[in-house]
Order: sequence, then C-alpha cells, then structure tokens
Amino acid sequence: MSIPDYMQCAEDHQTVLVVVQPVGIVPEDEFFRIYKRITSVAQVSIRDSQRNLYIRYRHHYLPENNEWGDFQTHRKVVGLISVTTCGSAKEWPQTSDRFHCQKDVFGATLYDSRLLVFGLQGEIAEQQRTDVAFYPSYDDCPDVEKRVEDFVESIFIVLESKRLDRATDKSGDKIPLLCVPFEKKDFVGLDTDSRHYKKRCQGRMRKHVGDLCLQAGMLQDALVHYHMAVELLRSVNDFLWLGAALEGLCSASVIFHYPGGTAGKASGREPSLAHGQGQAADAGKRHRPGALTANGISADTSSEIGRAKNCLGPEDIIEKYKEAISYYGKYKNAGVIELEACVKAVRVLAIQKRAMEASEFLQNAVYINLGQLSEEEKIQRYSILSELYHLIGFHRKSAFFKRVAAMQCVAPTIPEPGWRACYKLLLETLSGYSLCLDPKDFSKGSHRGWAAVQVRLLHELVYASRRMGNPGLSVRHLSFLLQTMLDLLSDQEKKEVTQSLENYTSKCPGGMEVLTLPDGLKLPPVPLSKLPIVRSVKLLDLPVSLRPHKQKGLLENNMSSKSPFIYSPIIMHTRGEERTKKIEFRWVQGDVCEVQLMVYNPMPFELRVEHMGLLTSGVEFEALPAALSLPAESGLYPVTLVGVPRTAGNINISGYHTSVFGVTSDCLLDGLPSVRTSGCVVEVIPSLPRLQLSTSLPRPFSSRLSSSVSVQLFNGETQQLTITLENIGSEDLETLEVTSKTCNTKEKLFGEFLSWDLEEAVSQLPLKPGQSVTLTVNVKVRLDFSGGENLLQDLNDDGISVTGLPISSPLRQVLKPRAETKPLGSESSKTDYNHVKTLEAVMTFKYSGGAGKMEGYYRDLSLGVHVDVEPSVFFTRVSTLPATRTRQCHLLLDVFNSTEHELMVSANNNQDLVLHPSECQRMAIQVAKFDFHTLPQPDQEAVRYTNPKLLEEERLHAQASMISSTLGSLSVSLSLSLSLCSSSLDVVVNGKPCDCDIIADCKVGDAVPLEVKLTNRSKNAVGPFALTVVPFQDYQNGVQNYDLQDAVTFIGSNTFYIDMVKPTENSACMGALLFLYTGDFYLNIKFQDDSAGQGKELPPSWFGLPSVHIKALEAPIEAGA
Amino acid sequence: MAVCIAVIAKENYPLYIRSVPVQNELKFHYTVHTSLDVVEEKISAVGKAMADQRELYLGLLYPTEDYKVYPSHMIIVYYTPVCMFFILIENILLYRHTRYGYVTNSKVKFVIVADSSNTSLRDNEIRSMFRKLHNSFTDVMCNPFYNPGDTIQSKAFDSMVSAMMVQAS
Repeated sequence: MSIPDYMQCAEDHQTVLVVVQPVGIVPEDEFFRIYKRITSVAQVSIRDSQRNLYIRYRHHYLPENNEWGDFQTHRKVVGLISVTTCGSAKEWPQTSDRFHCQKDVFGATLYDSRLLVFGLQGEIAEQQRTDVAFYPSYDDCPDVEKRVEDFVESIFIVLESKRLDRATDKSGDKIPLLCVPFEKKDFVGLDTDSRHYKKRCQGRMRKHVGDLCLQAGMLQDALVHYHMAVELLRSVNDFLWLGAALEGLCSASVIFHYPGGTAGKASGREPSLAHGQGQAADAGKRHRPGALTANGISADTSSEIGRAKNCLGPEDIIEKYKEAISYYGKYKNAGVIELEACVKAVRVLAIQKRAMEASEFLQNAVYINLGQLSEEEKIQRYSILSELYHLIGFHRKSAFFKRVAAMQCVAPTIPEPGWRACYKLLLETLSGYSLCLDPKDFSKGSHRGWAAVQVRLLHELVYASRRMGNPGLSVRHLSFLLQTMLDLLSDQEKKEVTQSLENYTSKCPGGMEVLTLPDGLKLPPVPLSKLPIVRSVKLLDLPVSLRPHKQKGLLENNMSSKSPFIYSPIIMHTRGEERTKKIEFRWVQGDVCEVQLMVYNPMPFELRVEHMGLLTSGVEFEALPAALSLPAESGLYPVTLVGVPRTAGNINISGYHTSVFGVTSDCLLDGLPSVRTSGCVVEVIPSLPRLQLSTSLPRPFSSRLSSSVSVQLFNGETQQLTITLENIGSEDLETLEVTSKTCNTKEKLFGEFLSWDLEEAVSQLPLKPGQSVTLTVNVKVRLDFSGGENLLQDLNDDGISVTGLPISSPLRQVLKPRAETKPLGSESSKTDYNHVKTLEAVMTFKYSGGAGKMEGYYRDLSLGVHVDVEPSVFFTRVSTLPATRTRQCHLLLDVFNSTEHELMVSANNNQDLVLHPSECQRMAIQVAKFDFHTLPQPDQEAVRYTNPKLLEEERLHAQASMISSTLGSLSVSLSLSLSLCSSSLDVVVNGKPCDCDIIADCKVGDAVPLEVKLTNRSKNAVGPFALTVVPFQDYQNGVQNYDLQDAVTFIGSNTFYIDMVKPTENSACMGALLFLYTGDFYLNIKFQDDSAGQGKELPPSWFGLPSVHIKALEAPIEAGA
Repeated sequence: MAVCIAVIAKENYPLYIRSVPVQNELKFHYTVHTSLDVVEEKISAVGKAMADQRELYLGLLYPTEDYKVYPSHMIIVYYTPVCMFFILIENILLYRHTRYGYVTNSKVKFVIVADSSNTSLRDNEIRSMFRKLHNSFTDVMCNPFYNPGDTIQSKAFDSMVSAMMVQAS
C-alpha cells in the first residue's frame, strides 16, 4: 500500500467500498454519466431496521490497497458494479467472461457484484438475472438507481451476516489471526497456542468486528468492540492494530459528535463530481443511529446507556489520534495509514477550530516518508497539504505549499511539464500572498505587502503563462508587475521587465479587454498609469481670438442654480464635486481643443509613448493622438493632447489613452487619485465661424493679442491700413462688428485715431467659408509734443522781437535761428522734444454665425495697433504782435523741425517756409481778431484742445491751415491782445471806414466828414468819455509833427463828448476836417475818462484805436486852375 | 545565530526584514511570511483567553521547522526577463530554522529566525533579544520624522539588528 488517499476523512470508516468499473469499450463520458447516477445512491436505509448503510464509490482502486481490507474494513472492496456496452448477442459471452475476470481481481473480498449491460436487446436481455441488468441504451436506463439500491441491500445482508457471525463467534476455539500484508511473513512459525498469540487474535478480531459494526450502522456496538480491542491489544503490545483500534474509536466518536461530517466543502472529495458537495449537504440530514434526534431521545434506547462512557469526548479524540499516529509511526510500511490518519485528524481539528494543534498534525504529516514518490504524487501531496492548511486558516502556509506544488508540476525531471497546471496552481496562491490581480487595489497609496515575494510570484506567473503558450496572459501579468511594483524594482529589473514586455507584445499586443481564464477567473485590464506618471491634468482655454463669448442679454438663462435659495451657507466641499466641477471657459464644436498634462518618466531610460490621446464622454470627440518621447528620469514635462469635439454639449475628460511598450492602456482619472485637476467637465458650444486676420502692415512681434501691427508715423501723419478678414472656419459669417479702444490713456490724443468705414464690408455678409473681406482703416496720429508751459513765453523778451509799429509787411520772417540766441534753452528743449511716443489701440472684431449664433455666442478677434509717433514740428513759442489793422494781428510762432529731414511749412497764406533738420525759425501768420466773448467756452479745456489742433495743422506736408478760426484762445493772456478791445472805435473818414493800412483820400479844401463811432462790446456800460482828435504828420524818421494848425483845421470842435454807452450799444459823434495843404496826415484819437471829471487819458490799446491815415490830395479844380 | 530578524506591521506586511546570508534573502521572506499564520493564530488565541495578561513573547512558532524529508533538490524555475535560467533556489526546505515570535501591544510583530542546529540558545536569551528589539523599535517610532507604517530605514535600528545577529552567531 503505497498510495495514500488524501481525501479520506473519519466518517469514511463507516462506509462500504464499491468499485464501479467499465468493462470492454465504454465511452468515457457515458461511463461517468452512469457513474454519477450510481454514486447518487450514497446512503441506503435498510428496510426493517433503523440503520443506514453508507457507500463509498471508486472507479479506480488498487488491488494492493484491497489487501489492507482486514486491517480496516472500509478499505475492502465489497461490491463491484461493471458497466459495459454490448452491441449484439454474439458479443455477450465475451463480455460475460470479462466481467468474471474483473470479479476475480477483487474476488476474495467481494460480497456481491452487478453488471450493467447497455445496448443489448433481444433474447438475452429478456433473461431475468439478478447480477446482470440490461438496458437498451445509456439514455434509456430509468431504474439504475433502483438496481443499485437493491445491490446495496444485498451487500448489507452479507455484511450483517458476517458481523453477526463474527460477533457471536466468541466460543469458537480457533480465532484466525488477521494481519496486514507486510506482517504475514513475521508470523510464520509462531506458536499459535500461546496465550499471547490468542490474545492478539482476539484483539484483532474485536477490532475487525468493531469495523463491521460501524459499517453496519451500529455505532454503539462498534464503540464497545473498539474499547475491548484497545484493551486486548494494549496488553500484547500489538501496536499497529492498537493504533487501528484507537483510530476506529476516534472515527466512531467523530461520527457521533459531528454528524455533519468532517470532509467539509473545501476538501472536494471527488473533484470531477459536483455530486460530492451534494452529499456533504445532505449529510447533515441523515439520521445516524445513536445520535440525538430532534426531540433529544435516541430511538435505540438500549444503546443510550453505554454511550456516555464509551464515546470519546472531543479532547480525547485528538489525544487518541495522537496516540494512534505515534503507534503507526513505529512501522515503516504503515506510512500511508499514518498519513491518512493525520489527514483525518486535521479535518477533525479544523471542525473544532484548533488550528495550532492541527498544524502540528500537518507538520507531522509532512515528515512522513513514503519512500520514492512519483512526481504526480508529490504534486498531489503538496496540493493536499495546501488545502488542509487552507482549511485550518493558515493561508500563507497554504499558499506556500500550493506554490511548491506548482513548481513541482514543471520540475525538470518531468518529461512533459504541466505549465497549465502550474499556472493554475500559481493563480490559486495569489490570495495567500495577499495579491489581487486587479490594479485598482493598488491605486491607493504606496504599496504595502511582501513585495519581494509578490514580485517573485508575478515573475513566475509570467513565465508559466508564456510557457503554456498564452502570451496575452504574460503581457497582462507583466504589465501588472510594472504597474504595481514599479517602485520596488531596481533599475536593472525595470529595464529587463520592459524589454521582455516589448518582446511579448510584438507577438500579442496588450489591450484593455478583460481576459477570462478557462476556469472563470477574470483578469482585469491593467492600465499603465505610471508609464508615464501624470501629475496634473489641465484643460486649456481656446486661444484668445477663438474664445466664444455669450451675448450679454442671454446671460439670465445661464443662471440655472440647483438650489431655490439665493444664498445658502451650506457649501458642498467634497472632493468628488471638485473633480467634476465645471470649468469657466467653453470649447467650441469643430475647433481644436487642448488639454495639458504634466507627465514624468520614472524609468531610467527613454520612454516612448505612442498614441497618447484623450478619453472623453458626453460628446462625440475626435482625439488626435500624439506620440512623445520622454527622457530618462525626466522632471515634469508638459504634454498637450488635442482633439476636436464633433457635437455640442458637456464634455467630460475622463482619462487618457496611451500605448507604451506595445501595451495600450486607458487610464481613467477617477482611478488616479494622485492626479491634480482643476475640473474635467467643460461645455462645448455649437460651432462658430472662424476668422483669420491679415494686414497690409508687417507684424513685428507677437503679443498677447492674437495679432498686432506696428507702424511708425510722424506726428500728424495718416496711413492706411488694409485688414483682410478671411473665414477659415466651416460656418458662414453672419455678423461683424468692429470697435476700437485706445490703450494708452496718458497721452493727449486729438481727433480720431482709427477710423474706418464698415459699410462695404458688411454688405458682403454672410461670408462663406473660404471667402474674405477687406476693411480699410485710417490711422491718424495727432499728439501734443509741445513743451507746454514755455510755449507761451512772451516773444518780446528776446532780442529778436519786432517792436516797431506799424509793420507794413503782413508776414515777417525772422531768419535768425533760435539756437543762436538762446543756446541753453534750446538745448534742453531739444531733448524734450526728441522722444518718441507710442500709441496703442486694440481693434476688436466681433463676429458670429452658424449654430453658435443661435445660442447667442460670438467671437472676438482683436488686432493690436501699435504706433510709434515721432515728433515732426514744434512750436516752441507763440506770441502775438498787433497788425497794422486793428481787426487783425500777427501770430508769431517759433517753428522747430525736430526731424532729420528738410521740411516745408505752409500756412494759409500759401507762403512756404523751408526748415532744415533741427532748425528753428520764426514765422508770423496774420490772423483776424475775433470776438472773445463769442467763442463758445474759452475755458482752459478749450485752450488745451485747440492749441495742438492748431499745431498739428502745420505739418510736414500740410498745405493749408486755417488758423484764424481757432487762434483766439491760445491762452488767456494771449487772447487779450488777440481779441477785439472791450470797446471798439470805428472811424469813418469821408464815408469810408478807416483802418491802419487803408489810406483815406481827400481833397484839399474839401471838408472831410469824420465819424467816430464807439461800440461797447463789454458787459458793462462805459463812458462818458471825452474824445480828442489830433492830426499829425509822420516824417518816417521818428519825428512827428503835431504843429499843424496851418495845414489842417477842424470844422467844429476837435473834441467830442460821448455819453455813457450801454453794453452792445454804440454812440457816434460827427465832425469834419479841412485840409489846407496836400500831404499825408494821421489822426491821433485820444480818450479821456470824463466820468469822474479828472480828465485822465486812457491808453489807446483799450479801444483798439485805429490810426487814421489820410492823404490830402490837390484838388482837381485847383489843378485845373 | 539569529539568521533573520523581521518586523511586521499590524496589517501583516514587513516593515523591516534583514537576514544574514544576504544572497538568499527571498528564502527568509518566505519563512517569515509563512510563520505569520502561527503568529496570528497565537495572537487570536491569547486575545480570547487572557486579554489582560501582558505576555508579549509568543515563544516558538514552528519548533522544528525543517523540511528534511523533502527531496533535497527542489528545483524552482526562475525566470528573469532577459534570459531564462534554472536556479537551484529552494534549498529553503533544507534549512533547520527555529522561528520565534513576539508581538507588541500595537500588534506589531517581531520574528526572529534562528538556526536550530545551534542548540545553545535558551529561551531567556531569545526573550532578551526581543526586548532589545522592542526598545529599539520604540526609538524608531519616537522619531518625529517616521511615519508609522513605513518601512524602517534607521541606522540605529540597523546597527542594533546587525549587532544582535553578530553577537548571536
């Protein structure tokens, strides 16, 4: 007996062994179908008694083991059922012979046998034979179970008779000595008459009877017999049989204490049969004689009495098992018995939940040497050890032995290594090493476990799956190894693992599908989220020019709040919400959208990531995969993944997709808690048109605006800028608005900086994709480059000012450069004027169209206009000079050319002034005076406004300037001299109004009427005045002759009285002059304030007194005379 | 003759493991790993029986842990990615090791594997070794920069363990 039955358990002692075997050619599946039906009859209750018979079926049993049948009767084959196919009557004799041959194999021990013949019909089948049953086919055999029951009953009858035979055979003088096979030769020549020998015979027989009683369902009798046997055998030191008797005692007690059985589900008695479990399930229900029934009273009251003392307690059972095993241990040949006893004891202990003691038994079992075991037996032994360890809750030990068994499957001594079995066993060890093949379990924090052991196990799994010809599994395990144990691998290992991963994936690319093993275990996909490691995910807004904006009026619709309250103090601050929170900006359907990932490569070599793309949900999204190559141990490395949403709605960036080392993986952000993200949900709005802007001017630099142009202009210059807008999107452009905004607010800007006419462009709308529209923009710069305060210095204080009165020449040019007279002042002013001023403006093109317009979205395209303004001409000083006419005056301007070019300045009188670079010249412009009060609002603001306006009009190429209209308010002080006097005096000579440069003609001897009219332009009444007209002659050499009593005489008084003149009124006084000689005469009009009577002379400037020039000519009559 | 000293966390993963024949460390991983079954069993038994009693020393875990009856050349196919080769590794079964266990009140376990061929090791020697180990471990825990649950990387602890191994052997 060399092959142990590891499946044995204590209650097997009460079963009878029946062998079911095929005879001749029986299809295997048909046989097992019949076998299954036969084994369903595992327990038969015997008629007319309350006893049950339990049957253990085997389809394979070594005759060698059968020889131990006397030692433990449950090892004895007592029944044989043969299954055979017999096609025709001819074959029948042959079949019958075979059956008899088979019977002979177990012949000595068989109580009864049956032959089930399938397929035979006809005469023979008609025969009624007890030992043969005929069935037409395997499908048509309804009463197999019935037959088996009958058969079992017949076995029982034999068993019962044997039991009674032996039990009552007390007085028989000759009790045969029962012995085990290896003992036989020891007893040759022994004195059979000695007392010792007789006792031995008695003891062994008692034990045998006990076995029979147990099998026959008489538990109490069995216990009694066992006890007696133990006593008898102990006295003769027959250790092997003593052990057997003790074990029998234990078995009977176990059967009594644990009617549910000790095999348990985990042991899986007959792996090929699900039936084994069914048996275990109904085992609890079956009634055992002697056991307590539901009402607590055993049916067999007679046995009730002896039970307490005969039956062993739970503690005793273990003690007795120990003892039995120690006795077995004394015999080398009883190794199998010892081993089986250990296994049985462990099962009992597992039920008692005494793991420590069970482990001791197991430990012992491990050391039992069974001689040279075949490889298959080794595997079986290790796996059963593993199972038993599992049974007592030692999962780690169990895993250890399972792994040893797995290794044994592929030991090099085996000619055909069972990689498949090895792999299967290795998978079963995973739980013992607390390893789960689902990578999700590892995503939480750092790895904690028996890393070295786990890495080893994974390597073994990889290798086993490769050898069994399933590279897909190897890839899965390797990627799992890489993903979960990455931190624990050394650089060298990382390199090796990835290399082999690449090797495998070249045969079988790794994917994201769940691999299902034949035994139903599912291997979840392993996304390689650590190759590379992603630290943060950030959704990027569209470029500024493509960002959609919502029309203001439609904003109310957007305010959809979940809560009916305007304000709630309860703020949801959960992490999950943060993750899914929506992002402020929006994406546009059809536009390329970007997501930025910060990644880094933890590997010590360059990592190639291919097909890296985005995983999204909610919106149809076309991801445009990218390939990247990350340097070894790179730091954080930004990677931008792009894609195009194809429909509108809310898009959720749920993860990313990579392909590394041939393994494609979908990494979901939900499973990566270490990834920082500012939200993954963004709204995609319907598509909008897209404009591309190009300009006629170059773009010198990139700025934060989508585009910008830069231009350099002289102050006052105008340039045209042509903007071409092309629709490069897929939607029609329907609306276009253009606005502009000046950025630089420090500078005083006058006039319209940018101006355009949109009408033409708008008329071309809607703009189809691919079409373009042009827009012309005028860029005008008008800036104040003047120095400001020193502009208004009185020109009279420098030497070159012209003081002479009157000036006959209307325009006087002072050709003397200012630099000569005031070198210091001009030096400083020059630096002031030299700087370049910049002017920036942003033109915004607001456009919309397509489906996005329906939703109220538009886009902004902005164009930055950057103008460097260079100064051209300055007026460094301004002053006035009275002109010869009272209604006009001279405006004196120092014009400075700050450019490097020669330039020409022309004023309204078309007289060009040529200025060389850095030259300063004075020019005078004659301008008409104007009514100060009629100016709308000559306040400070107006001054500031008009001043540069005046200046800019005199530009490099400006041809005309209308100074007179605006000159008046250069400054307050200046306007005094520029404006008309508060009261003006008009002198009319000879019916003609008279002014400085008008010479009134008159004839000698004629009375020349003279009218002096005073107009009050001030707001107050003036007067009364005394007005005296004094004629004089100017010799043009500085001498004025007032002594003209002989030449001029007044008709009437030369002094007039003017009464008070109310505002805006006038008063006139008339007189006449008579010239006696020819000549040039001037009239000097003097005013005296007569109101207070002091006769004070008033300065003529108050009234803007005209000097009246009268030329007296010879009378034609006189000439004629 | 302590050949391996291990500190196991409450959740039964190793915080520290060190063995003397460094080249065959994996073997000791297996040894310590399997002995955890007994440690757990003992702890649960103690917990049931006498919760108050503060005996931390668990005693012998596997008294005669030697697999001498096993085939002496158990060959394990080991695989390394670049080239595959067969290595004779599992001589683990040939060693005669005695494992001792100790559990702190915070359920951190210490396991000492001793070479049982040397029988001079007495029970109280083992006890004192554990006590030293416990003290040193307490020092490690007192380090404000140590996160409970991390693997122990302490020079002081290291030197103490190696001293223990040297002294014993």
